[in-house]
Amino acid sequence: MILIHCPYCDEKRPEIEFAYAGQAHIARPVDPDSYSDEEWERFLFIRANPRGRHHERWRHSHGCGRFFNAVRDTVTDKFETTYKAGEPRK
Amino acid sequence: MSDALTRAEPVPSAPFVGDGISISLAAPMMRYSLRARQPQALETLLGVKVPKKIGAMEEGIACLGPDEWLLRAPIGSKIVGGAGLPVSLVDISERAICLVVEGPRSAEILNAGCPLDLDRFAVGRATRTIFETVEIVLLRLAEDRFHVEVWRSFAPWMWTALTTAAHH
Ligand SMILES: [Zn+2]
Repeated sequence: MILIHCPYCDEKRPEIEFAYAGQAHIARPVDPDSYSDEEWERFLFIRANPRGRHHERWRHSHGCGRFFNAVRDTVTDKFETTYKAGEPRK
Repeated sequence: MSDALTRAEPVPSAPFVGDGISISLAAPMMRYSLRARQPQALETLLGVKVPKKIGAMEEGIACLGPDEWLLRAPIGSKIVGGAGLPVSLVDISERAICLVVEGPRSAEILNAGCPLDLDRFAVGRATRTIFETVEIVLLRLAEDRFHVEVWRSFAPWMWTALTTAAHH
């Protein structure tokens, strides 16, 4: 089983305590009324889907309950690092 | 009116006793979910220190998350209101029941369904975690005594899972 370091609990915990929550660092529109259809499409549906290093959100759902960010390699499934929500992209 | 009500528990009232293990239902208790951005606000309210480290437990208060604590206390304990303070107290006494898993095989039997490394889960720790697919709060009260807080509707399944593991 993969162990994931929760930046809030500050320890490695079993993968099944966690839930994946999509790509990280997608900013909500500051002024939604001004968004064109194309901008909405990009915000809602277009994701990076890289082969390799991926920034993603995870939630320690069966633990402290918090969302955090992680850098995971989509080829090896290895977690490079995890960090608290709100911290700059690593 | 309340005299007419009888308490129905979801698991057998007689303990399960096996080789190196006993599993029993803990007495009913008061449970509160405490939420606060600033733990100091809770300390002002309760008049006691609350643990700041997630996974730590002091005086019946377990820190479950960065802004979340579980308070367990005997029935009849006085819990203050908290009006005016930036805190939330929710009575969740009857949401869960507590199973006491006790004996030298406790950790082994819990690990039948719980993926936590219990060798590194010291006495005095408490955390939300999972047993198979059922969410629990696991508290270690002694080297070979654990409390398993499980939601009432999952309790019959939990009882069967633990006692089945204990049979093996
Ligand atoms: Zn956590």
